[in-house]
Amino acid sequence: MWKVLSGVFLGWSLGANDSANVFGTGVTTGTVKYRTAILLTAFFVLLGALLEGPKCMRTVGDLSRLMPPEAFWCALAAAMIMTALTYLAIPASTSQAIVGAVIGAGIISNSADFSMLYKIVSCWVFTPVCGMIVAYCLHRIFGYFLDRTQMSLARRNLLYSAGILVAGCYGAYSLGSNNVANVTGVYVGSGNLSPGTASLIGGLSIASGVLTYSRKVMMTVGKGIVPLDPFSALVVVLAGAITLHVFTQIGVPVSSSQAVVGAVLGVGVVGGVKTVSFKMLGKISLGWILTPIAAGLLVYLFITFGGI
Amino acid sequence: MILEKLLSHGKKERDVTEDIKRHIGLLCTACDTFKTAVERDAPDLMENVIQLEREGDSVRREVISHIYEGAFLPYLRPDLCKFVEIVDEVFDLLKDTAFYHLSTRLPERIKDDCIRVALLNFRMCEMLLITYEAMLKGEDLREKTLAIRIYEKKVDDLKYDLFEEAKKVEIDTFWEGRMLADLISGLTTISDIIEDASDHLQIIYVSMR
Amino acid sequence: MKVHEFMSTKIEFVDAEKSVYDAVERMVDRRIRSIVVEFSGKEPEYGVLTSRDIVFKVLAKGINPKKIKVSEIASKPVACIDINMDFEDAAKMMEQSNIARLFVCDEGRIIGLISLLDVMAAELVAIARGNHDS
Repeated sequence: MWKVLSGVFLGWSLGANDSANVFGTGVTTGTVKYRTAILLTAFFVLLGALLEGPKCMRTVGDLSRLMPPEAFWCALAAAMIMTALTYLAIPASTSQAIVGAVIGAGIISNSADFSMLYKIVSCWVFTPVCGMIVAYCLHRIFGYFLDRTQMSLARRNLLYSAGILVAGCYGAYSLGSNNVANVTGVYVGSGNLSPGTASLIGGLSIASGVLTYSRKVMMTVGKGIVPLDPFSALVVVLAGAITLHVFTQIGVPVSSSQAVVGAVLGVGVVGGVKTVSFKMLGKISLGWILTPIAAGLLVYLFITFGGI
Repeated sequence: MILEKLLSHGKKERDVTEDIKRHIGLLCTACDTFKTAVERDAPDLMENVIQLEREGDSVRREVISHIYEGAFLPYLRPDLCKFVEIVDEVFDLLKDTAFYHLSTRLPERIKDDCIRVALLNFRMCEMLLITYEAMLKGEDLREKTLAIRIYEKKVDDLKYDLFEEAKKVEIDTFWEGRMLADLISGLTTISDIIEDASDHLQIIYVSMR
Repeated sequence: MKVHEFMSTKIEFVDAEKSVYDAVERMVDRRIRSIVVEFSGKEPEYGVLTSRDIVFKVLAKGINPKKIKVSEIASKPVACIDINMDFEDAAKMMEQSNIARLFVCDEGRIIGLISLLDVMAAELVAIARGNHDS
């Protein structure tokens, strides 16, 4: 059972790294207090994990034939990579880390399911695209109606405040439902845990990461990518949440960071303006490329030298 | 925190908007008092204008502290504060102009035009209040800011003539001339700042779309 | 809205015995479209000379403006209105008499002038103030 600990570690690092995608803009613009943000995120992540988490478990678990020890190493490798990236304040994708690790293990044991890998990778590519399209549509549609509606300043203010809160909760729920598979899916694949238990443990570990170590990345994501007006911020979070939720139904865990960046681009396109800080974008891209490779390599090292 | 925000139904916001309305209302009263004081050549009324500025100052401080106690989205707060500061600038200039009026004798040849400018300033303040209330309701501000611009143009026209007439006034000392110049200058610049304030309301309106 | 709020108070006067040329010189210099003509007599009488009068009655006919006096083409008497008249009534008057300006008088003295432009500006402000049902 102690093997599950690396999964807990992974969940913790995911919570720390990805909670910023939910309430990052809310907290850095001062709309939502940090404490409120993390409490809400933790609660809704757990809820999402419990209610819809199992949907993506098979995808991760079946990528390679995993024995319990390998599951342990995969989760550990992914967790270490994620922690390092969190420390460097780079939003990174747990999906890529864990998939990179699992494929790495699969290559060693010659059981990697590459057709499944292609399905997963194409979903990765589509995540930011989906985020962008959803954000663009939401911005256009809601924007159209908001423009035509005459609303008092106070009411509009309340709408945006409440909206960012609600969108954030939904975002946390989606995150939990989609990403918990990254955290403990390997154990379902290796037979250590049932999907339900995996969801519970995974959800709790993510929540713990949110509550304890998310401050660093939250301050960067919110400020680093783009300064947004309240309406756009709302659209971005909502679009990210919808994107993740859609992929949960498809059954593939994807990256919330990529969904959010896509959403930000989608909102930027509405105004026809380049609103993304290229430096930040570069940093993020680097993380996305190196993550699966590094995780794969690390797993290789673990398995080869760690002994099975 | 969220719960108390929802339950209080935006009480903090209401307080702030009412306070700002009061602030602008005080400015209107001050401008009206100023005009009457010039018409009747009444120094005691002019003193009232200075009193009103002090009152306006304290309202401004209340507004700003209420805003930063947590009213409105943080995104909106700096713009709201900036608006209040601009209104305060008008107040300050009006107070200075009142002081100049108290310190100097207004020549008859320019008195009528001064009264006309003072009336226009008052009308502009009224218009600013109307514009502010429209902004609160979320209405389009175009026609209101247009009206303010029309008034401001009228003051501009008068300003040129005022200075031309003032040149013909005989003065005995430098400071007498200086006070008169400052009086006219202050009187005709008030409208510019009010126009700034109305432009800022437009900014607030647009930023929340 | 009362006319006195939007009238222009810079009225230019010219003596009736002066030539049209003098009047034109003043009008072009001050960029104004009309000028009040003062007829000397026991009691001062007023008339008005507009740019229309000058262009249509003198320049278009090829008459030398230096050879014609202001009094020959000025219109008398001046259309006067009270300072407390409403803008809408002033606009109606302008429409009825087909004239582009009205002089605002107070006890026989001309103290202001409202033009078509002033009427339009007043309307914009009135709408903004919500004085209209529209």
